[in-house]
Amino acid sequence: MKGVNHSFGSAPSGIMEPPEVLLPQPDIFARRALRMRELAEQVPPLADFLSFMARMVQAQQQVLDGREPAWRPTPGAFDVALEHGMPPLSAASLRRELDWRADLAALLDALELHVAERQSPLLEALRAKTDDQLEELAELILEIKPGTDADRGLLPFVAAAMQVAWARLALALPRTPERPTGAARSLCPCCGSRPVASVIHIEKDRQGVRYLHCSLCETEWHLERVTCTTCHKGGQLHYFGLDEADGKLALPAQAEACGHCNSYLKIVPREFNASAEPLADDLASLVLDLMLDEQGTYARNGYNPLLIAG
Amino acid sequence: MSVRVSRRSFLKLGAAGLGASSMAMMGFAPEQALASIRHFKLTGSTMTRNICTYCSVGCGMLLYTRGDGAINVIDQVYHVEGDPDHPVSRGSLCPRGAGVLDFINSETRVKYPEVREPFTNEWKRISWDEALDRIARHMKDDRDRNFETHDDKGQLVNRWLTTSMVAASACTNETAYLTQKIARALGMLVVDNQARV
Ligand code: SF4
Repeated sequence: MKGVNHSFGSAPSGIMEPPEVLLPQPDIFARRALRMRELAEQVPPLADFLSFMARMVQAQQQVLDGREPAWRPTPGAFDVALEHGMPPLSAASLRRELDWRADLAALLDALELHVAERQSPLLEALRAKTDDQLEELAELILEIKPGTDADRGLLPFVAAAMQVAWARLALALPRTPERPTGAARSLCPCCGSRPVASVIHIEKDRQGVRYLHCSLCETEWHLERVTCTTCHKGGQLHYFGLDEADGKLALPAQAEACGHCNSYLKIVPREFNASAEPLADDLASLVLDLMLDEQGTYARNGYNPLLIAG
Repeated sequence: MSVRVSRRSFLKLGAAGLGASSMAMMGFAPEQALASIRHFKLTGSTMTRNICTYCSVGCGMLLYTRGDGAINVIDQVYHVEGDPDHPVSRGSLCPRGAGVLDFINSETRVKYPEVREPFTNEWKRISWDEALDRIARHMKDDRDRNFETHDDKGQLVNRWLTTSMVAASACTNETAYLTQKIARALGMLVVDNQARV
């Protein structure tokens, strides 16, 4: 909260001024892993899957903490982009510069001791890939394509390594970019990628404020509540949630669905659970996607690279 | 901006997509997740942005209604909170505004025109047409009887002092403009606004 300064002192302005863009925290993956383990216990049908993903996310933290990348941008490299409202970490232009493939190798090593029999062939398959083949997988992720059946099981690993590489850069940005405007309002101001989901924060300076969470670099940016993340209209927004059979709230995640363009993005209000986290809670509320698909009115607009549909 | 915005690149995450999803390809069977649909109930609510009608501050509000906008369903407001994006109030509401839910759902809330005829103690529901006709009649009669063209000194005044108007606070600039135009065109001098109260 910014204060008002007088010659005789300063007074709090009393009005909330939420930050426009939130760069990732250094412990982003550790907190996500914790939440995934919590959710693995709460959602038995997804327990194995979520436990495995929790390991993968924990490994992401390990790689982020432990590895110094071969390439770092020079100081001032992003000044021009920041000044002109361009995403400084544009995924398309940085893909060849970043050594995310080394992050992938480190990630696979970190996972080695934790994978079950079913998953270890995936690690082998990834290790056997040439650089060009890996780049092709990265391209599928950036273009949000499902790839072949054989590739699809490998994509989440590649995406996880890319998240580490981009989050590392986002963490080190000299200053936060401005929030995107116009038609780009739902694209990450750091890397230009699509959001996984929205989150409504509870901290004092951003209480009740909605942020979109990037699917690649973990940056969050403000978008007004009750606004469709696809068509940006605000008049017909419906919120679908999951109740247990006895009427208890099952999970905090909801689907924010727009009656104008018939799309939805998950929204995770942290007031129900302070540790709720957009990517983890999106995965764990998979049943909500299945139910909405069955109902048939709304199509999903969030991209979660840890679960890629066929 | 070099990023592409494709509004229609939606993703399909249903039963079919899940069977061939990365989750299945990684060796995690989706059957359990698919079967678990039966254990949950889908709930729907609608959120609408609005402005508090109580005073001239005009704080922003988010109104939650049950139901997902389906036709023939009467929505009921069940929760109200401050709109954190509203430039004036940034999410805060005073106790009056925060209590608006009781006002909305109050049994005694006036939802349609009613009249208490002289010498009765009962409120009777009437149609909007009838209400507007009767108000217009009263205004016309009173104005015909009391409109002053000149004052004691013979100066031209064209005023109507025996009827006044109180406008509501929940009005836009445009409403306020029209209110002023209509009241002044009739020669009405006593105009006030509830927003001032
Ligand atoms: S009554 Fe209270 S909440 Fe409503 S507009 Fe006035 S100050 Fe805001």
